[in-house]
Amino acid sequence: MTTVDIYLQLLDRQVLDRDGRLVCKVDDLELQPGPDGVPVVTAILVGPRALGPRLGGRPGRWMNALASRLAATPGDDPPRIPFGAVTAVHSAVDVDRTRDELAVDPLEGWVERHIIGRLPGSGHAGG
Amino acid sequence: MKRVFGVALGILTAIGGFVDIGDLVANALVGARFGLTLAWATVLGVIGICVFAEMSGRVAAVAGRPTFDLVRERLGPRIGLANLAASLLVTLLTFSAEIGGVALALELATSVNYLLWVPVAGLAAWLVMWRVRFSVLENTAGLLGLTLVIFGVALWRLNPDWPQLLNQGISPGNPPGEGLPTYFYYAIALFGAAMTPYEVFFFSSGGVEERWTRKDVVTSRVNVFVGFPLGGLLSLAVAGCAAVVLLPQGITVDTLGQVGLPVAVAVGKLGLAVAILGFVAATFGAALETGLSCGYSVAQYFGWQWGKYVRPREAARFHLVVLVCLIVAVGTVLTTIDPITITEYSLVFSAVALPLTYLPILVIANDPDYLGARVNGRVANLFGTLFLVVILVASVAAIPPMLATRAGQ
Amino acid sequence: MRAGELLGRPVFDHTGRRIGLVADLRCVQEAGPHSSWGVLRLDALVVTERRVTPRLGYGRHQRSPALLRGVLRGLPGQLVVVPWSAVASWSAEGIRLTDSAGG
Repeated sequence: MTTVDIYLQLLDRQVLDRDGRLVCKVDDLELQPGPDGVPVVTAILVGPRALGPRLGGRPGRWMNALASRLAATPGDDPPRIPFGAVTAVHSAVDVDRTRDELAVDPLEGWVERHIIGRLPGSGHAGG
Repeated sequence: MKRVFGVALGILTAIGGFVDIGDLVANALVGARFGLTLAWATVLGVIGICVFAEMSGRVAAVAGRPTFDLVRERLGPRIGLANLAASLLVTLLTFSAEIGGVALALELATSVNYLLWVPVAGLAAWLVMWRVRFSVLENTAGLLGLTLVIFGVALWRLNPDWPQLLNQGISPGNPPGEGLPTYFYYAIALFGAAMTPYEVFFFSSGGVEERWTRKDVVTSRVNVFVGFPLGGLLSLAVAGCAAVVLLPQGITVDTLGQVGLPVAVAVGKLGLAVAILGFVAATFGAALETGLSCGYSVAQYFGWQWGKYVRPREAARFHLVVLVCLIVAVGTVLTTIDPITITEYSLVFSAVALPLTYLPILVIANDPDYLGARVNGRVANLFGTLFLVVILVASVAAIPPMLATRAGQ
Repeated sequence: MRAGELLGRPVFDHTGRRIGLVADLRCVQEAGPHSSWGVLRLDALVVTERRVTPRLGYGRHQRSPALLRGVLRGLPGQLVVVPWSAVASWSAEGIRLTDSAGG
């Protein structure tokens, strides 16, 4: 029987998409009662609305307030990645989707469309 | 053959990239006031940065994780955020100082007021960070910085009383006329300048940018254990030149021009020209390293895509952070705050940033989840622990002498 | 519920005596659908009075430099593993255990 300590081995690790791109951190994990009532990890929670409550105190409140203002969807629910999409956990967490499919980070897209993407050379290959 | 070339190139860039505006000014200033009696602090700092850069390079090569990933993962979001704030401040202040340093060096070369050069230097730094390939950026800056070897040539040409100089180096203690608090303030400043956290941010992130794998642990080690100490020797040469030329004349160092003065005395105008080229290259290289490090640390804390190995638009927020930091850095220098004073005050934030950066590196370097069989051996752990204690003591000890001496006045 | 809501919560036994804070959530990894890493089922709470995070080297699978290990071992408080089945109720104020749990 393999056991996993989720604070030690899962929380705050980097999430990588199918192509090895950086997606987000494991900002928090969602647990829901299974058929027998025992909680099961159901999703990775992402972004300021997941991280804010863990920060606590003033920085946490600021982060929450900022996130709610910027968020496309109102409310306290952060974007999530279903835990079934996780294919491996090592020094990072591998997920079986692409960054675009996951779409957990609307702000990245906004910055890309409105600021960085408008600068000349933004599509120039990396290296 | 290609591999040998790669390793050699790595060493050269490590040497050239080691010295920045803080090292240049601190070493010349200390040499002019204390001779080589503070050489031990630089040596200690070089050993310390080697110990932790080796660990962070190994983690980057084997696990693919850069330093600020480790900070967030081991310290958690809250203390990680405190470290992010402190490191970002130190790195941003250093970034401003480097931009200012480039401008001051260009003023030396052209006699045009440095404030006019500041926007030029800022724009040039941004263009390079935005468009130039990572390997080209790293190698060019490092290789040009090698022109600082002129300080070694100058010291040799000055033909000083070597035994006496060496004797200074191995007999610590404040010279007559200098108080002990001032002496210790500068000891900590030199140690802090060598161990500044952006070096490990840049070194480990650079490893990921260059797609290091397990095989590159050797490359990383050679860069660290050969390149950094040789870079440290350059720092000592700067201090030595000042000790030989400026100390006997009672000249103190307040400007970048005075840093280069001994070279002019020893090698003449052409030597001075080379030294100024070295100043421009070393500070411009360090501006690139610190600017990118601002982006690396923020993006790695939040888990955003970062790096120059992808198209800029695919790492949008990373490039946005770099751009905003650049604007802040340029704005700071344009307020006419002395760039050299900036580096001295950033030491306070280092007191928070240093322990909180090096502790997680040491812990993860022991974690088989990350490194498998390549975890720290006894020697790495012995030195790591020892230096962590030194860093803690220096961090706490930095504040009282700094206040007592008003930053070494 | 979120993992972050359980972590750091105080834990009390059935008499109301405080045992410590939740330092970690221990899950059993079970086979999941094809190609997935598996299903994590909450099995136990790792409870301690220590304020220093187990991530610094006294958690499982971890090694750390001798001096650091020595300091961490010297910390007051011990690690207690409480099975999730022993949790009677939990709220913002803390987690209360049933009397069958040997806290």
